[in-house]
Amino acid sequence: MGSLQSTLIQLLQGFKFTFGIFFFTLIFSIPLGLLVSKGRMSKIKIVSLIFQLYISILRGTPLMLQLLLVYFGPYYIFGVNLGSIQLGPFNYRFIATIVAFSLNYAAYFAEIFRGGIQSMSKGQYEAATVLGFSKMQTYFKIILPQVVKRVLPSVSNEIITLVKDTSLAQVLSVTEMFTKASAAASAQVSVIPFIVAGAFYYVTNLIIEQILNRVEKSMSYYS
Amino acid sequence: MPETKRDVVLEINKVYKSFDDLEVLKGITMEVKRGEVVAVIGPSGGGKSTLLRCATTLEKVDAGKIVIGGDVLCEDGVYCDKKLEKQIRSKFGLVFQNFNLFPHFSVRRNITEALIHVHKKSKEESEIICSQLLAKMDLTEKADAYPCNLSGGQQQRVSIARALATNPEIIFFDEPTSALDPELTKGVLNVIKELAKEKMTMVIVTHEMSFARDVADRIIFMDGGVIVEEGPAYELVTNPKQERTKAFLAGY
Ligand SMILES: Nc1ncnc2c1ncn2[C@@H]1O[C@H](COP(=O)(O)OP(=O)(O)OP(=O)(O)O)[C@@H](O)[C@H]1O
Ligand SMILES: [Mg+2]
Repeated sequence: MGSLQSTLIQLLQGFKFTFGIFFFTLIFSIPLGLLVSKGRMSKIKIVSLIFQLYISILRGTPLMLQLLLVYFGPYYIFGVNLGSIQLGPFNYRFIATIVAFSLNYAAYFAEIFRGGIQSMSKGQYEAATVLGFSKMQTYFKIILPQVVKRVLPSVSNEIITLVKDTSLAQVLSVTEMFTKASAAASAQVSVIPFIVAGAFYYVTNLIIEQILNRVEKSMSYYS
Repeated sequence: MPETKRDVVLEINKVYKSFDDLEVLKGITMEVKRGEVVAVIGPSGGGKSTLLRCATTLEKVDAGKIVIGGDVLCEDGVYCDKKLEKQIRSKFGLVFQNFNLFPHFSVRRNITEALIHVHKKSKEESEIICSQLLAKMDLTEKADAYPCNLSGGQQQRVSIARALATNPEIIFFDEPTSALDPELTKGVLNVIKELAKEKMTMVIVTHEMSFARDVADRIIFMDGGVIVEEGPAYELVTNPKQERTKAFLAGY
């Protein structure tokens, strides 16, 4: 009983980081994804190609490899040692994790947003134009709200995947929940910590699913 | 009817427009006077929509002049600045074949959004304008409905209300009933008839020949990027002069 309690406490400590990775990745990757999708749709060929390449590489290589590259790259390639960086409570490991996750997820979000934006009919832009709306007004009042509704199911998918992907931060020894569970499992010679961690991930996603369902429902008043 | 000198709301002069190698408008010249209803007819691909899209800033002409409500939109193919363009956009309305209502806005908001955020009218004033227009369109009880819950005819009437809301000097219609079932076209045509009675200036691209004959003052027959023939509506339909016009009308 005592060991279960201590397992729970350890996992909860790890969960802070798990949630941190999840939260900051979303905060950064969604706007970044919007920008990348804009670049990908640029009429300037070379710009569009660069962003296409970005998306293709980040989606086509393992996230774990990207984590290692972001973490070790500055030192191994440029000889710059960032190891001692500390932003408030966040050390370099954590920051590198957020950077790698955000870059990676931005690539996925970018393609989802591009699909959503390109699925909008030309008529919506034209109606807005002749009514006198500015480009900004058209984008934020007419286009974006409809795009959000269209991409929500795909974005939800990514969000749920992200919760589970946070466990990859283990390769950088970030003390997130999965790292803690592995440590506890080998110390106790037991699978219980893994099962408890699994339950944590599952419940987290259950809650997220409920929230996303609610958001989806709030936009179902039109089709 | 005593013909007084009415001012010209729309002037199109020697307008040319190509898409890549395809020349679609080959020197179109026309005028629409205040209070006049002009129908544009002609076979598919003749350039009717393109003409309307050029007049409503959705396409840029290659050469020629367009004047709307006294403001020069373009001359010799050179366009005015953005500020004037915006002012010009407030002088006309456009009704699309497939409505293009904003699906995420209620009927009321479809109509008031531009009033509030483009024309900077108060919410109260905008809603009064909206209610009056909806009453006119016989859609008062649909103010809070969303476009997806309306019939095609109702949606098109909302889009007419939306175009009217900003009190434009001229309204363009591009085949306003072509996307509608026959039994729904009547309501939309009646609304346009009403507007004609009120001396709303309108340019209507249509395939509804009897409607054009009865409601328009003047008909323009376009084919192959040129105006082949134009004249008083009844006369043009019943007694066309050009062979191409005769052949086209014979199909109706
Ligand atoms: N954006 C565009 N790019 C290339 N070609 C175009 C474009 N828009 C129109 N066209 C071409 O221009 C020609 C005239 O088209 P337009 O739509 O103006 O004809 P229309 O008279 O309105 O025909 P309909 O009665 O079928 O609506 C057609 O050959 C069409 O294919
Ligand atoms: Mg057309």
